[in-house]
Amino acid sequence: MNLRRVLAVAARIALGFRRDHRSLGLLFVAPLVVLSLVGAVWGSSTQVPPTVAVATDRIGLPPAISTRLVDGLIASTAIRAHPATFEQGVQELKDGKADAVVWTEGTTLHLEIEGSDPLRSGSIGPSVQKAFADAAQTSGLINSGLGVTAPSIQIEQLYGSADYSLLDYLAPVLIAFFAFFFIFLLSAVSFLRERTSGTLERLMATPLRRGELVIGYLAGFSVFALLQALVIIAFTVFVLKVQYRGNLATIFLVEAVMVVGAVSLGLLVSAAARNELQAVQFVPIVLLPQVFLSGLLIPVAQLPDYLRPVSAVLPLTYANEALKAVMIKGLELADPLVLRDIGVLFVFGAVMAIGAIASIRREVA
Amino acid sequence: MNSQPASLAVSAKDVRKRFGKLDALAGLDLEVRAGEIYGLLGPNGSGKTTFIRCVAGLVRPDGGTITVLGRTARDAVSAGRVGYMTQAAALYGDLSVDENLAFFARLEGVEDAQTRIDDVLRTVDLADRGRSIVSTLSGGMRSRVSLAAALLHRPDLLLLDEPTVGIDPVLRQEFWAHFRSLASNGATILVSSHVMDEAARCDRLGLIRAGRVLAEGTAAELVRRAGAPDLEVAFLKLAAEAAPAGPAARA
Repeated sequence: MNLRRVLAVAARIALGFRRDHRSLGLLFVAPLVVLSLVGAVWGSSTQVPPTVAVATDRIGLPPAISTRLVDGLIASTAIRAHPATFEQGVQELKDGKADAVVWTEGTTLHLEIEGSDPLRSGSIGPSVQKAFADAAQTSGLINSGLGVTAPSIQIEQLYGSADYSLLDYLAPVLIAFFAFFFIFLLSAVSFLRERTSGTLERLMATPLRRGELVIGYLAGFSVFALLQALVIIAFTVFVLKVQYRGNLATIFLVEAVMVVGAVSLGLLVSAAARNELQAVQFVPIVLLPQVFLSGLLIPVAQLPDYLRPVSAVLPLTYANEALKAVMIKGLELADPLVLRDIGVLFVFGAVMAIGAIASIRREVA
Repeated sequence: MNSQPASLAVSAKDVRKRFGKLDALAGLDLEVRAGEIYGLLGPNGSGKTTFIRCVAGLVRPDGGTITVLGRTARDAVSAGRVGYMTQAAALYGDLSVDENLAFFARLEGVEDAQTRIDDVLRTVDLADRGRSIVSTLSGGMRSRVSLAAALLHRPDLLLLDEPTVGIDPVLRQEFWAHFRSLASNGATILVSSHVMDEAARCDRLGLIRAGRVLAEGTAAELVRRAGAPDLEVAFLKLAAEAAPAGPAARA
């Protein structure tokens, strides 16, 4: 291993980047644009309250109480309620003017919802429940002797807090995902160019060894990947004002180990592609399983049993776990979970790097 | 195995290489003496490039032996004693000429690199283009930069794979004058070509077809042996005489 030659390769990559303004843009600006969009969509913790038609003809309560209950529902800020007949309400539902129709039958609260969008559907029930609790309080229904009680649940969170927005929870996994995605793509295409333009063959006809070439690549790309990680972390923390606990340096360390793996994987994938178009086609193969199976969208614990082993070999699974542990739970670097994840990411990077070295051997003896 | 005299720069014995169903090298024997310009002459697909890649340590033969400067091909390359100019210029288009050469100089461990870079750029008549970005250069200029990169570390053995393809006659003249001066300073040059008038400038020639050397000698010897008026006819006659075994038609 000759350090001079390794550094020569790393410096060559840096020089190339200096002139390639588009790739630099892709690396530093694109993640910020996408994160800003995500921030705008998921960053606010306030939700639009659902529009609810209260079917006054189906409130199975004495009229005096019924009126008080309807008034209480209308007064609640958890929903936007208005009185209607059941049939009117259903029609509003069909016309998209209302999100739900409510009525009661004995002590059962009925709720008819539109149901075509599960995310929206899920948020309606709790809002209406909350409104009923409000109404029961204000209308004095609880003390009416009708046996109506408003269940009151006070939730205490071990981690995070009720005022965390979706973005606060997603920030750790998004940081990992963007860092992984962009650097993987760049290193795959860049090394592919080395293979197709003949420079790889030319390099192999110099004293440069395959291992030195791969380590030089890792070094050259990792510098940019880490700069990118710094920019992304700073942007999410200081501009998007994502709430986090834990140590920024630990977050950065997890990122650093992960991007080395991403660069190695890029080099390895470039061996399987014949041209840049094919390399780009590898992006969904490499990235989509990680989107669905790494805990980015769906918690790993909720995956079907037969998908768990797949999840267990994906690097983003460990990056996500570690970053969530640090950013949301505030765990320290010394925590066994964080150390284990960093270790797994390190092993992944090493295995991919060895694979990349082997892939060069197949081409040139 | 390494009992060759020191005066041989390259010694190939019964070298075989198969790519799938194609016998790229089918028992090639050849000796390049130190300090000579040896021309590999043959049609496209005859195995010239494959053989040069073997000598550059890029292809491992399936059979036979290749000794380069008294050692294995890869060892000779690792020791920085071999310079290789590929058929198509293998350079980084997004870097300047200077940056490309500085990169290769670092890989080869060239001392006082900038002085040496200026030297080789003067040699290939590009002294004023050091700052030009390679992708903005013409094809001929890129070939010259590629040659400059192969010369940087003063190799004992220079491998040139069709170095004058796409180069104008004036520059071709200059290239050959330069090859001659390198050889007279002790370097050995193995050059491939399919251009006959270029072949005549080599000290010795190997006529290669279907992965075999059909005949070896100076241009004059080959012409005389074939009883032909010129090298081109000689090549055709010798190829017909050799009547390749098997269905190896025109490559």
